[in-house]
Amino acid sequence: MENEFLKNRFHITRRHFLGKLSLGLGSVALGSLLIPDLLKSEYDDVPQISGLPHFAPKAKRIIYLFQNGAPSQLESFDYKPLLNKMTGEELPASIRMGQRLTGMTSGQAKFPLVGSYFGFKQYGQSGAWVSELFPHTAKIVDELCFIKTMHTEAINHDPALTFMQSGAQQGNRPSMGAWLSYGLGSENKNLPAFCVLLSRGRGNGQGVYSKLWTNGFLDSVHQGVQFSSSEERVLYLQDPSGRDRESTRKMLDNLAQLNSLNYKEFGDPEIEAKVQQYEMAYRMQTAVPELSDLSHEPDHIIKMYGADCLSPGTYASNCLLARKLSESGVRFVQLYHQGWDQHDNMVGDMPLQAQDVDRATAALVLDLKQRGLLEETLVIWGGEFGRTNYCQGDLKKKNYGRDHHPRNYTIWMAGGGVRPGIVYGETDDFGYNIVRNPVHVNDFHATVLHLMGLNHEQLTFKHLGRRYRLTDVAGKVIHDLLA
Amino acid sequence: MMSLNRIALNVIFCIQILLVFLLIAGDRIVLPAWLQVAGRLHPLVLHLPIGFLIFLAVIHLFPKHVDKDSLQRLIHIGLVITSLFASIAALFGFFLSLQGEYGTDALMRHRTAGVLLSWFCYALLLLHRVDEKQRFFYGFGALTLVTLIVAGHTGAVLTHGQNFVLAPILANKELTVENASVYEFAVQPILDRKCFSCHNEVKAKGGLVMTSIDKFKEGGKHGKPWVEGKPQESRMIKAFYLPLSHDEHMPPDGRPQLTPVEISTIEAWIKSGADFEKKLNQFADGDSLKFIVASFAASKSDAPVEEKTYSFSAASGDVVEKLNTPYRSVFPLFKDSPALQADFFLKGSFQVEFLRELNSISQQLVVLNLSKMPVEDKELEFIATFTNLENLNLNFTRIEGTGLRTLEPLANLQTLSLAGTSVKAGDIEPLLSLPRLREVYVWNTQIAEAEREALSKKYPDVTITGNLFSDSETLKLGKPRLENDGVIRKGELISLKHSMPGVVIRLSKDKTDPDSIKSDVYDKPFPATESMVLKAKACKDGWFCSDVLKATCFVEGIAPVNVELQSKADVQYPGKGAEGLTDMQKGFADILKEPSWLGYREGPFSTNFDFGKSISLKSIVISHAENIGGFVFPPQEVEIWAGDNVREMKMLKQLKPVQPTGYTPNGVEALPIPLDSGGSYRYYRVVARPLAKLPTWHNSKGERGWLFVDEVFFY
Repeated sequence: MENEFLKNRFHITRRHFLGKLSLGLGSVALGSLLIPDLLKSEYDDVPQISGLPHFAPKAKRIIYLFQNGAPSQLESFDYKPLLNKMTGEELPASIRMGQRLTGMTSGQAKFPLVGSYFGFKQYGQSGAWVSELFPHTAKIVDELCFIKTMHTEAINHDPALTFMQSGAQQGNRPSMGAWLSYGLGSENKNLPAFCVLLSRGRGNGQGVYSKLWTNGFLDSVHQGVQFSSSEERVLYLQDPSGRDRESTRKMLDNLAQLNSLNYKEFGDPEIEAKVQQYEMAYRMQTAVPELSDLSHEPDHIIKMYGADCLSPGTYASNCLLARKLSESGVRFVQLYHQGWDQHDNMVGDMPLQAQDVDRATAALVLDLKQRGLLEETLVIWGGEFGRTNYCQGDLKKKNYGRDHHPRNYTIWMAGGGVRPGIVYGETDDFGYNIVRNPVHVNDFHATVLHLMGLNHEQLTFKHLGRRYRLTDVAGKVIHDLLA
Repeated sequence: MMSLNRIALNVIFCIQILLVFLLIAGDRIVLPAWLQVAGRLHPLVLHLPIGFLIFLAVIHLFPKHVDKDSLQRLIHIGLVITSLFASIAALFGFFLSLQGEYGTDALMRHRTAGVLLSWFCYALLLLHRVDEKQRFFYGFGALTLVTLIVAGHTGAVLTHGQNFVLAPILANKELTVENASVYEFAVQPILDRKCFSCHNEVKAKGGLVMTSIDKFKEGGKHGKPWVEGKPQESRMIKAFYLPLSHDEHMPPDGRPQLTPVEISTIEAWIKSGADFEKKLNQFADGDSLKFIVASFAASKSDAPVEEKTYSFSAASGDVVEKLNTPYRSVFPLFKDSPALQADFFLKGSFQVEFLRELNSISQQLVVLNLSKMPVEDKELEFIATFTNLENLNLNFTRIEGTGLRTLEPLANLQTLSLAGTSVKAGDIEPLLSLPRLREVYVWNTQIAEAEREALSKKYPDVTITGNLFSDSETLKLGKPRLENDGVIRKGELISLKHSMPGVVIRLSKDKTDPDSIKSDVYDKPFPATESMVLKAKACKDGWFCSDVLKATCFVEGIAPVNVELQSKADVQYPGKGAEGLTDMQKGFADILKEPSWLGYREGPFSTNFDFGKSISLKSIVISHAENIGGFVFPPQEVEIWAGDNVREMKMLKQLKPVQPTGYTPNGVEALPIPLDSGGSYRYYRVVARPLAKLPTWHNSKGERGWLFVDEVFFY
């Protein structure tokens, strides 16, 4: 009898079932009203580029001191005393682990380890190791955040350089500066958001080319503007003889009208970009002379950067100009200093290279600091990969060379919300492999964008049917590097 | 009555389904404002199911006061009400959770418990109807009560925090750098987070107990975990550094790992003697442990300041838009932030009006950058009206300091930059007691280093940054610069320049290095008649003289009417062919691929120059590259032939140039060949042979050298 009742209770008629079902479905429908993009694909919305950081930024500007050619980490900041003990001995197979080499040393019968010819000491309260070649950098180690475990995917200069600059090894993507110009716009409308300064040292050099500061598929206003190494830092800014500023203005106004007619007809965004470029060039006629005027630099500033800072085209003068550009609101100042490719003659070349950059680099950091700008300016120093712990070619008594080594290299960052006075990451005693806390180039990019207040996953651009990022499909922010 | 009952049952059912759906949809949901209000009612509604459920439990304590039938009816009605309010509370709670103001872990626990409770109440209601004999009913009821307690507790943790009830008796004093030893303050919390879970009195993996200091000192079955002063030899540190896959690596793979900062803290602690008692101020100033601990004592105190929020409302987009001109940028600090920054550019065009126009955003302005603008003290009074200003940059303005006192109302000011102005110590002092001021920059002002130090001592909360660079070293000047570009035309003057004011340039034209006292002083541009090597250096008091500038000046000569190559250049470096040799376009010694250069390696360079008529030449200059690393050397041998007929020429001169004896910087060199025959000819032929074998000191000794020629000049 009880069971009959029970059965009756469970006995659900079709009408009853459908009634309940409709109630249930109704609830689900009600709930779905709360999800605005339920039927849209996750990526359907074109992200609104507002020209503003996604969240409160730590750094507002970047000065990237790119050391082109790959300075040796083993002669600069990654101290490996074991290599000095084992100089001349063969690189153990357990360390090399059959990893790939460049064509320049893959044919070598022997891989003799070689220690740094130059001495190391610890400096500052953080106790970072710095080689004797960088006495001025040594004085500011407590401002710096060394990353000893950068690693990259490319083993030759061009792809590695391109990877470091654009997050891809092939040169068709926008450079870092272009992405920042796209994401954050220009602080100062009278100067480009992305400026490029070149210099070459006395060591064996590698080329730099304009694809490194390309806008890629972004609007061409985001392209890096290369400054000249001559005294006239931007060419053709002076009014031509016989024409005054006012007639230039009139000419530009009329030209803009013609261009806007053209734009209405063809709708090509490059026409608009061009008009904007003309306008900026016009304003740069006033802004740039203000920058290249050194008469207001106190004498001790010149001493700080070294006398070379008065000779246009030197690394020191580029550092000084970088500070002035950055101070004037240029979002991204990219320096390239060539000559760090020490396949041989490490003992001869490396001191010259270090001498060229050491003083001015330290001066730049201190100069920013004493103006109260270091907190909002991120300074980055480093190359595209590292150098091998074994000698390329014959190991001579007093000289040696090192080949390309993408598995670990050292860079440093300062200011702009980076944690000062730390050494991040650990390489093995042979300086060949990463033991702890690797930082991939994508991670580096993600972290830099994070410091600038940008989420690297949200800074995207749709091109050829898919969305691209500086970090493409990888990269994570390394929070340990943040202050 | 029955219809009310049915409506209630259906509503409960609907809410259950909705809850399931919402749980699945998770964070894709966006709540409209009115539902946010419903969410905020959660703390009110949640008390109803608690009360009813407890009432239903308690009523069973009085079986004699209620007859059985009434009791069952009462329970049914009670369960309907409980379940209804439990569902509503869960739903509202869900809405509240989407407003995201709580820690996620605790929130997840409460959410799960709340939803479970709502389901259990519904299940209990169904069970009451089905389970006539009530075999499971009371068991399930007890389970529901337990869930109620869990949900209630986790909810209370969210609102009141952990240990809210017992806090008065547990009263644990907070550890600070002052009251705790460095071990308690900095090291123990790390071990607590990463090690204690396995190495405690109960678990004691490897025999090691870290929770008690005495047992920690005794160590585990492998002995003491550290060696005082020697972190490299300490078992503990080694375990941190072993590869993750290694068995001895600690914490084991899969457990939370130590961060680099944590490891360096423990390392520094062992290095300074692994002391359990010492406080921070007992360590020497240079001790790395002190440095590390002090830095994170500081970060601990300001850790909660994550994203700053502002109480004022945003200015309208129109207002901000209008304020943007080429001379002034105004923009929010970041997306959706009401706080604004204003930057000024182009000091030549600055007008005080530009600054005054900011009064429309006087509430919102948080960062003001007037660096380099000709702003004077009288404007400071206006700047003081930006009540929320946090960062004021007045570097290199015309501020003299007398007006700084008027900035005193800026209670939110945190950073003040005055570098490069003429402010004095007395001017800034009144501002240093501003409540939130942390950073002041006074480099390159009238404030002397001693005054800066005194102020820093008096106002320890404010970091006053002065001159950071001091160096008594004497430096070398940069080289002077040759202003002429390429080939010097007839009548053109040679001009030297140096950007440093007050330098003296000394020069020599005879290939000797100039002397800083005896050599000629360069005072004005001078003419050149023939290609020459110019050497110059710059000197100034207080600096070492510059390195010597060595420049080869090539001067325009007699131009031939026709040039004909007798031997082809290397296929890789054909240059512009014969015409390139007299086009006055100079090449760079670093870029040999450019069209100025003709390169020869296998055979000699041999070229005929036709002057149209007989002429007499005094000398010929071959302009060639030197790029030792690139195997580019001066020619091994040069011959000059001449004649009035191309087929009948005689050799006028043969010469073996001096070869470099070591690596030299790359350069374009002039090789002068004096012709002393005095004869007059129409055709001249220049033959130059590349170096057959690189010298023994060269890295690639014995290889064939290259010869690169870009111009040939005739005088």
